[in-house]
Amino acid sequence: MLKELLQNIRKDFIIEFRSRYALSVSLSFAGVSTLGIGLATAGRPLAPGVHAVLFWLIMFFSAMNGLLHIFTREEEQGTSLFLRITTAPEKVYLSKLIFNILMFLSLQLLITPLYLFFLQVEVRSLLFFLLLVPAGGLALASASTILAAIVAKSGGKGALFTVISFPLVLPLLWVAMTATGQALERPDYFDGRNLLFLLAFSGSLVAVSYLLFPYVWMEE
Amino acid sequence: MIVLRLVYLFMPVGIILAFLYAPAERLMGEASRMLYFHVPLAWVSVLAFLIAGVASVMHLVRGDDSRNLDIKAYNSASLGFLFVVLATAAGSLWSRMAWNAFWNWDPRQSSIIILLLIYVAYFSLWNALENNPNRGRITSVYLIFAMVSMPFFVFIIPRVFLSLHPDTLINPRGTVLLGDRMKVTLMICLISFTLLYFDLFFMKNRISRMEQRLEESLDNE
Repeated sequence: MLKELLQNIRKDFIIEFRSRYALSVSLSFAGVSTLGIGLATAGRPLAPGVHAVLFWLIMFFSAMNGLLHIFTREEEQGTSLFLRITTAPEKVYLSKLIFNILMFLSLQLLITPLYLFFLQVEVRSLLFFLLLVPAGGLALASASTILAAIVAKSGGKGALFTVISFPLVLPLLWVAMTATGQALERPDYFDGRNLLFLLAFSGSLVAVSYLLFPYVWMEE
Repeated sequence: MIVLRLVYLFMPVGIILAFLYAPAERLMGEASRMLYFHVPLAWVSVLAFLIAGVASVMHLVRGDDSRNLDIKAYNSASLGFLFVVLATAAGSLWSRMAWNAFWNWDPRQSSIIILLLIYVAYFSLWNALENNPNRGRITSVYLIFAMVSMPFFVFIIPRVFLSLHPDTLINPRGTVLLGDRMKVTLMICLISFTLLYFDLFFMKNRISRMEQRLEESLDNE
């Protein structure tokens, strides 16, 4: 099983590096919105709470722009039928999930310093912030993988992906925004409950997605 | 079902009790009577969502023998949407009287608006899949997925973040913090709104069956 998973993940990374679609779209979105905010505020300092909201909204829309492609690509190129025949749905789900998590964490590695640099944000509780950002990214990628499969089945409408994802990821955005605000504002702040919430959220959604994915993936 | 006809008895009794039998609360005064409508509306909007979720699970489990459970899930969700809109409106009126603002992003207010957004997202997905033979399965998966994430904002977030909202009926102490006459009135109103939901739900299911038969007979001609 592991070999098959790794093969699928490798294949997705090779295709992604050939086209660089998800990476370029997400990064461009994050860059344009960060620079837009910077130009609009003209270097004036923003409150930590405002920074937290803007930061996670950029993360959310970057995920919406980049993570949908993993399934719509299979549908558009007609390779989904081949995948359905050759690979068990659970393996397809796990490989796409791992790809999306790795992809989004890599994106966060680029987007986070970009945001902190251009908007001159000072992080007062660095350790908590460094744990919080990947925990939020993990939760976003976990929630959006099965939703991307659902949207791919409905014709790959990008707007629909945002509409159906937003209410489901709101709890995680809410917690991540509040905790990020605290990490930016208070020195030596650390609240493990927020991290636990994000990890529990990811875990429960992945478990349910694993069980439900065959119903979305296989056709009647 | 004959039991559901009891709604025609319970609903007027509930309304009369809410306005004439239950005493006004000490601080809120006459405005406190909103409680007897807001709480049942919020309860039914969550109940409708849970029934839609259970119907979705059964639709996936039964497969070909699902007996239109996806349509039943849709019918329950459409009623839930109506109730959640009314619960939000009643809640914001209550908020205006208690906190002097129609909306103040209290965790519990935010929870109900997220439930409303889930219903809207579900209907958007349902419409986007209009000619897709897998519509029932895909929308069922979405509802189940939403049902799993719901406890995070209905029960967990209001306990993690400070809320001005009074304790709900399901509170950590496990008790209903009301006087006897208020408690009786609230229970009667809860029963009436639950009966109203089931009466409307079965009625909608019958209409869907009739529409389906009509379509089938038109296709056969």
